[in-house]
Amino acid sequence: MTAVSGSPRSSRLRRTRVAQALDNRGTLIATLLVPVLIFFVLFNTIPTLWLLGLSFYNYSLTSGSPPSFVGFRNFIQIFNNRNNIWADLSRTFTFVVFGVGIQTVLGLALGFLFWGSKEMPGRRVALTMLFTPMVLTPVATGTFFRFIYDPDFGVLNVILHGLFSTRPINFLSEPGTAFWAVLAVDCWMWTPFMILMALAALGSVPKAELEAAEVDRLPWRKRLTLVIWHHGKFILMLGILLRTIDSFKTLDLIIPLTKGGPGQETRLVAMEVNKQAFESFNMGWSSAYSVLLLLISIAMTSVFIFILNLRRRRGA
Amino acid sequence: MEESYKRAGLALPRRTLLKGAGAAGLSTALGAPFINRLYAMEAHPLAGKKIDMNILGIAGWLPSSLGVKMSPLFADYVKQRYGYDVTFGFAEAPFSDLFQKAATSLATKSQEYNIIISDSQWLGALAKPGWILKLNDIIAKNKGLQLDWYSQTVIDTYMAYPDGTKDVWGLPQEGDTKALYVRKDLVQDPKEQAAFMAKYNMKLPSTFEDYENLNADDYEKVMEFFTRPEKGLWGAAWQYSRVYDFCTCPLFSAMWSSGGEIWDAKTGQIEGVLNTDANAAVMERYKSWLKYMPPGATNYGIAEEIDVFTQGKVATCLQWAAVGLAMINAENKDKVMVVPPPKFGKGAEAKRIYCMGGQPWVINAFNDDAKMRVAIDFMNWWYLPETAKEYAKRGGNPCDKATLSSSEFDDVNPWNRAYKFMLEPGRSRDFWHDPKYSEMLSLQQEGFTSFMTGQSKSARGVLDYIACGQQQILYDAGTAKKEPSGVCGNVSL
Repeated sequence: MTAVSGSPRSSRLRRTRVAQALDNRGTLIATLLVPVLIFFVLFNTIPTLWLLGLSFYNYSLTSGSPPSFVGFRNFIQIFNNRNNIWADLSRTFTFVVFGVGIQTVLGLALGFLFWGSKEMPGRRVALTMLFTPMVLTPVATGTFFRFIYDPDFGVLNVILHGLFSTRPINFLSEPGTAFWAVLAVDCWMWTPFMILMALAALGSVPKAELEAAEVDRLPWRKRLTLVIWHHGKFILMLGILLRTIDSFKTLDLIIPLTKGGPGQETRLVAMEVNKQAFESFNMGWSSAYSVLLLLISIAMTSVFIFILNLRRRRGA
Repeated sequence: MEESYKRAGLALPRRTLLKGAGAAGLSTALGAPFINRLYAMEAHPLAGKKIDMNILGIAGWLPSSLGVKMSPLFADYVKQRYGYDVTFGFAEAPFSDLFQKAATSLATKSQEYNIIISDSQWLGALAKPGWILKLNDIIAKNKGLQLDWYSQTVIDTYMAYPDGTKDVWGLPQEGDTKALYVRKDLVQDPKEQAAFMAKYNMKLPSTFEDYENLNADDYEKVMEFFTRPEKGLWGAAWQYSRVYDFCTCPLFSAMWSSGGEIWDAKTGQIEGVLNTDANAAVMERYKSWLKYMPPGATNYGIAEEIDVFTQGKVATCLQWAAVGLAMINAENKDKVMVVPPPKFGKGAEAKRIYCMGGQPWVINAFNDDAKMRVAIDFMNWWYLPETAKEYAKRGGNPCDKATLSSSEFDDVNPWNRAYKFMLEPGRSRDFWHDPKYSEMLSLQQEGFTSFMTGQSKSARGVLDYIACGQQQILYDAGTAKKEPSGVCGNVSL
């Protein structure tokens, strides 16, 4: 009697063949990777290649004309500082360095506070409250901080006036304060993320090694460098890397707060890309700018990975 | 019995006849409206069908929402007249994001939005890629759309692209001009009038006619007079915000009124036209007016002005006529008058040329036949005299001569007289219907607000930066014949 397709026996046979195929390590790896690779190619590689291709074209959605090949013209315009983009890059690096720096220092300080005080009353409530800003949408955060900063009815001016009898300060419209006011909101929003990473980094330190350091009466500074930093650095550096890349792309916080103003005072690179692509519809030029930013992000990531692997390289 | 009706020459008994006549009369009376409607209903290709339409309009902008709120009236109208059902959905985005929302949808040839309330300056950007329907043929075939508009300004602003041609791409949805909202309770207070006379040796302007003749120098006295920070009162609120065109509109108004120009529309030349010492002086003057305004006035846009004016913090406010309903509420309705904004210059030389506001209807070129037909029916209905009157009654600003010239129009809303005054030829104008409008505006807003907030110190330097940038944009787009001069390599904010 021959096996009929669709019979219980044939389906058992098929299952066995599949199981045997999956027993092969190469097949298993390929089976697991293929869906991810398809997703990656469709939603990452193709758009990136498209972006790269478009960066060599002059293409405006509103011109009614088809894209025209212009070679490196878009890149040359960028290097010739069209639209003040070097000032935007410089401003963005300042924003990243100060923002991530402050968030890391505060995050570490608060991380140590909560790490060493598990019996602290209200610790859970305090941590929940501390993490709240991180889960809010940046647009909502920007909108209510705009009200907080308002010179007419903003609560910050009311407090400052009550404490120091100051005149109303137009935080978001004064060239001297706007950048720092935006940076403060970014720190308020993202310091919790660095607290979380600091707590994770501290949690990765083996208790036994800490106890051994205590028994050996190792000074606090040495405990920090030899034990805590040694074990926690990877998670902490990962947090700094993620924040750096994210901070470099800051856009949705600035739109409700200042729209990049006053003048260009808070115009970061992402603002200009967004404006060129989705307000001016200069798809070619904005693609070239995006390619440049992508290269900068890759460079920054490489630097972080290099620093992380530095000791291992030295050891080798 | 049978004998009696036969003797009377009747085929049926009298009672039966009476009953029959009564029933016939009743059915005629009840059926008459239906029969009338059947006769009134015109043959229409969509009769018996149900069509869903979508309008894209401006979020938080009353005239936009009025167009939508009145759409059920259109549904009733077409049901009765043409026998089809229509429902309207409404999508919206703020001024600064609406073009982005419309363009990204239209670029994919989508009919997601069948009718769009566009801003007037976007006509070029929507028309050039062929996203919206050219209306010349439609107007030629529809008598209801062959209207006599109030002035050429209406055609130039809401309908024609390229400028000066007879190509029509839009039809006015909301007409709008700048107007000065004035606290009548303050300027008509005899004590204030006496104090003003004592201080400036001139009459405090307190009537429509006074403001019609008022120039910027004297208006500045009014602003100064009412600036009393200790009492929480300031002389004025004008717009300085970086958002959308908020700082641009009053500043362009002041430049035009002072004899300046912003570009040469024929050649696309901006460098040398916008960046002049005269325009720089206007910028400096406009910045100096901040001292008559509440703290934070550099953030003022439409909404912020409504806030400070309705809270009674300012004596005068330059605002769009279209937001009259928000500026004049139940609490201040007896305290406000709406007048023409001031002229610039002196004597017979003084000029008043302010920015046009308002929005046209435009029709998605990718609509299928049914939706296109409904859109055209909608336009025909919108310009019916009774629709225009209803729109005005609800707070909107129609643009057709018949409605605006009617004897009752001036009294329908407090701002109507000023709106009509500013719509007269030569008193208002629109800027750039160029497809590169958005890019040019964005650059300019950065420059203007940079100067207004003190980030840039030199007005002339800012104008050079804007002119060079805009010249480059228009040159790259092929609109301008000349590329930016060599000087432009060294300008920055």
